[in-house]
Amino acid sequence: MSAPLPLRLVDVSKSFGGTQVLKPLRLDLAQGEMLALLGPSGCGKTTTLRLIAGFEAPDAGSIVINGRDMTSMPPNKRGLGMVFQNYSLFPHMTVGENVAFGLKMRGVGKAEKTQRVRAMLQMVRLEQMADRHIHQLSGGQQQRIALARALATEPSILLLDEPLGALDKNLREGMQFELRDIQRKLGITSILVTHDQEEALTMSDRVAVMAQGEVVQIGRPTDVYDRPRTRFVSEFLGTANIFGGVVKGATGENCWLVALDLQPQIEGLVASSDALALGQRVTLAVRPEKLMIGPPAPSAIEAWVKDVVFRGAYFAYELTAHGQDRPLFAYSQAREVAVQNGTVGVSWAPGSAVILQESA
Amino acid sequence: MSAQPAYRLAAPNWCLPVLLFMAFFFVIPLAANLLRTQSPGTGPFFYYIKLLTDPYYAGVLWETLKVGLITTFATLLVGYPVAFFMVRFAGRWNALIVFFVIAPLLTSIIMRTFGWRVLLARRGLLNTWLLDWGLISRPQNIADDPIAVYIGLVHVLVPFMVLSIAAVLQGVDVSLEESARMLGAGRLRTFLHVTLPLSMDGIATGCILVFVVTNGSFLTMLLLGGGKIKTLALLIYQQFNTTQDVAFAAAMGNILMLVAAICFALQFHLLRHRGVKT
Repeated sequence: MSAPLPLRLVDVSKSFGGTQVLKPLRLDLAQGEMLALLGPSGCGKTTTLRLIAGFEAPDAGSIVINGRDMTSMPPNKRGLGMVFQNYSLFPHMTVGENVAFGLKMRGVGKAEKTQRVRAMLQMVRLEQMADRHIHQLSGGQQQRIALARALATEPSILLLDEPLGALDKNLREGMQFELRDIQRKLGITSILVTHDQEEALTMSDRVAVMAQGEVVQIGRPTDVYDRPRTRFVSEFLGTANIFGGVVKGATGENCWLVALDLQPQIEGLVASSDALALGQRVTLAVRPEKLMIGPPAPSAIEAWVKDVVFRGAYFAYELTAHGQDRPLFAYSQAREVAVQNGTVGVSWAPGSAVILQESA
Repeated sequence: MSAQPAYRLAAPNWCLPVLLFMAFFFVIPLAANLLRTQSPGTGPFFYYIKLLTDPYYAGVLWETLKVGLITTFATLLVGYPVAFFMVRFAGRWNALIVFFVIAPLLTSIIMRTFGWRVLLARRGLLNTWLLDWGLISRPQNIADDPIAVYIGLVHVLVPFMVLSIAAVLQGVDVSLEESARMLGAGRLRTFLHVTLPLSMDGIATGCILVFVVTNGSFLTMLLLGGGKIKTLALLIYQQFNTTQDVAFAAAMGNILMLVAAICFALQFHLLRHRGVKT
């Protein structure tokens, strides 16, 4: 209302050599939020980031940063910070010189520069590393220096291009929280580009799932995960069990009974705030951790255990059911499940299944 | 021979033929050249002293180094933008540009140099054009002007510079330049603070290569520039062909050899101290 939004993309689109990599995109960022652009490679997320940074010019539309139209402004005049996938630290400079580079380009005085570099290095807990060379640092340290360098100039927006992609799993999880912590503390508006759904869900305030050059769903991580709108979103954000069926009727508020396309025929409950017509064909998705495995029962889906995989925190069961051409996946803490004549019963609690848009 | 079963295609003694070849045709002739500067009745350094103190010969030595430096600098100015374009912008045309860069090397040096004579002579193509455009009123014999020597040398040596620099620029990640842009550096400052320092290895290699090759060139000086540029290599050629003062020619050769050795020692030093990269 009063202060302009940090970033507005107004119908920005981009094509490369005849293929449209970004369909007209409209996106607003609120002050201090972290938005994740999540999608498979080639979905347009990196192009979006490069358009915001100024490395590519959009074919149409405008990029408004803090109320100023920056569409044709070169990257060095946009006042943004960026952390690159491979960190891109200058190999011919020390850690301190790397962090000071942006300040040097802005003509910041020596005393202020020294103090600011020290503050940045303290923030990423590497203050004793100022005189080291880049090749003397570990991957995680390089990542933190890249962050310190990007933040030293107090950019209005921080762009993160797969910032943790090159780290090993343990380090990545630690860095997710550290990065998130620093971002919250500084209250800096950020955009995170990633293909890692866990990273997007952990770190962001909002997730924009992209596919084929457009945002297919945007919302809070829990919303997007629990209530995916399309089959693509449900499958890209973790694993999903997809069922087809026909609506039988309502069983309560926002709760519907669906006859699933399985043999023997079985009915399942699905949550939907939209009114569903009787006899309407629907597709529904259930997360593997929401599937419950028990002894076979008339109200449960009859399935066979094909394989059990130990995943550390849980067991992943691969199941087959009649009428379902793809296997079902269920995550359970139990190592042994009740099996009768080789079959188990699979069910879910009301509200665990969501309706997907048919188009996807 | 060795008991360990590790697969190694080459054995150390395979390099024996090369070593023998180099010893016979490179090390021994060079050593012989050292002896050749000694003649009875004169001191061991007679010809070297003559070369360094006689005003004429000292002038030629100085001219040699000057031609080397100017050619190197001009080649760098011409070659860097080509290398930069090749690596950063050419994309799929890169192979074609590499071919065009190397193409001059596929022609004999005499053909190439005579080609320049045709272009630069008094009644040559360049003069005709300059007259047609009204830029000059009288045809100039550019082919016999010292500038022709530099044109000829730069033409021959640019490929070495371009390929040396391109090889190193290829290893400079574009995202480093993009980082600098994000941090507020414009195109020029990005180049000066990031691209140029990171391509120094290629520049050094290219410069040393061009400088050493220029020092050893004499055909270009013989065929272009009307004999106005006299360098040690040209003098050696003349010593052999006209005065047949082999001892003096050998001394000049050894001085050129020393300059080349210093250059390569310099490059070795540079690579060892700057070559540490992630």
